[in-house]
Amino acid sequence: MAAASFPPASSSGGWDFTCNFEVDYGSEEQASIIYKTLAVDKELQPDKVKREMTLSGSKLAVHFAAVEARFLRASFSAFVDLMGLVTKLVEEYGVAKEGHS
Amino acid sequence: MSSSPSPASRRPTGPLALGLESSANKIGIGVVSLSGEILSNPRHTYVTPPGHGFLPRETAQHHLVHLLPLLRAALAEAGIAPSDLACVCYTKGPGMGGPLQVAAAAARALSLLWSKPLVAVNHCVAHIEMGRAVTGAVDPVVLYVSGGNTQVIAYSEGRYRIFGETIDIAVGNCLDRFARVLELSNDPSPGYNIEQLAKKGEKFIDLPYVVKGMDVSFSGILSFIEATAIEKLKNNECTPADLCYSLQETLFAMLVEITERAMAHCDSKDVLIVGGVGCNERLQEMMRIMCSERGGRLFATDDRYCIDNGAMIAYTGLLAYAHGETTPLEESTFTQRFRTDEVHAIWREKEMPVMTNIHTDAMAEVSKDEASMPTPIIVDS
Repeated sequence: MAAASFPPASSSGGWDFTCNFEVDYGSEEQASIIYKTLAVDKELQPDKVKREMTLSGSKLAVHFAAVEARFLRASFSAFVDLMGLVTKLVEEYGVAKEGHS
Repeated sequence: MSSSPSPASRRPTGPLALGLESSANKIGIGVVSLSGEILSNPRHTYVTPPGHGFLPRETAQHHLVHLLPLLRAALAEAGIAPSDLACVCYTKGPGMGGPLQVAAAAARALSLLWSKPLVAVNHCVAHIEMGRAVTGAVDPVVLYVSGGNTQVIAYSEGRYRIFGETIDIAVGNCLDRFARVLELSNDPSPGYNIEQLAKKGEKFIDLPYVVKGMDVSFSGILSFIEATAIEKLKNNECTPADLCYSLQETLFAMLVEITERAMAHCDSKDVLIVGGVGCNERLQEMMRIMCSERGGRLFATDDRYCIDNGAMIAYTGLLAYAHGETTPLEESTFTQRFRTDEVHAIWREKEMPVMTNIHTDAMAEVSKDEASMPTPIIVDS
């Protein structure tokens, strides 16, 4: 479902530590809800970690770039944990259950 | 930890709200009606081992795990479907960033999934509104005391104004950190265990008493007692109970003093105590004595309502919603710093006749000569 890659360090202006992954939710609506939910909170240290999200159809692609590995690790793990919760909520209360108590 | 009984059979009329709270070490989700009826209010507390406080990362992890089960319980206990809700409310702040984010993100997702408006709520204002709704106190001087906040507040011209506050750590933080020195249990809360131990205290140990005008300071007292405790306990000069007793008496006397001064400023006779430390019965007793000397009344609630919970967020959000206030998704952020007086309490300006659902069972309206202490808080069967 998700693929992560850690390209070797390059001279990309200090943003040497990157991580990309993509999740296919199988539903455009679900992917869009997760995207909108997670897009509100900005990265707290934009000079150290950047996060970009791209929504294409039912697929949500996330790109992280950081100046140090520890910043990447902290931001990435916090983000993925939250994404897990939001995904669970969407699965529980998603379209299929609409109108059903 | 605990939740209120839920009469799912008698459905209140009027709009309902769901509230999510996760600003500190509790996560709570509640469903309330605009009349102040609590349909459900389950919560779960992150309890750390003795000697340890709670850290943001671990606390957020705890909340992530418990959110969904609590949400299911809140809806089931209330006997409602998401479609019955008018809005979804969450704590915007103040609090710890990581933990706050859990409820904020969940509220956004639910708002989108259920097509319900979002309402961001100030945690401190929520404590006040919950206290007012539960006790029926109309316009009291409010003492808000918890692990993260210590403020004396009164309403004036659209806002809850802060008359006095701590200039360093919160009173609950002072108590919690002293509990760590003594390695008391954090279950159900360090403050509760200090309170129980303090009842056995016999000797009063002089501690610094730090009131600066309308403000208080606790960090120096904590440093002093941390040093004193180790020394005196080693020499068998006092017991841990004596220290707990002395600390409580000193801290609470300071709080009573600034509350009394605020009452004089505002020409108000009623006091409402809210926040987690507010369920300390010794604090309630000391405040009650002061109030009765001034011919006033003390309003306080038990642990179901004064400790952080989802219902207080739902209720306050619903008050704002009923006055046309909602939070657009893009603005549904959270913030660690969010002062009580930043909120325009629009619902106080044109007060609604909704306070019909006073929870007499949870109310400690302690005005007369009730000599024996145990607060008149009766947990209903």
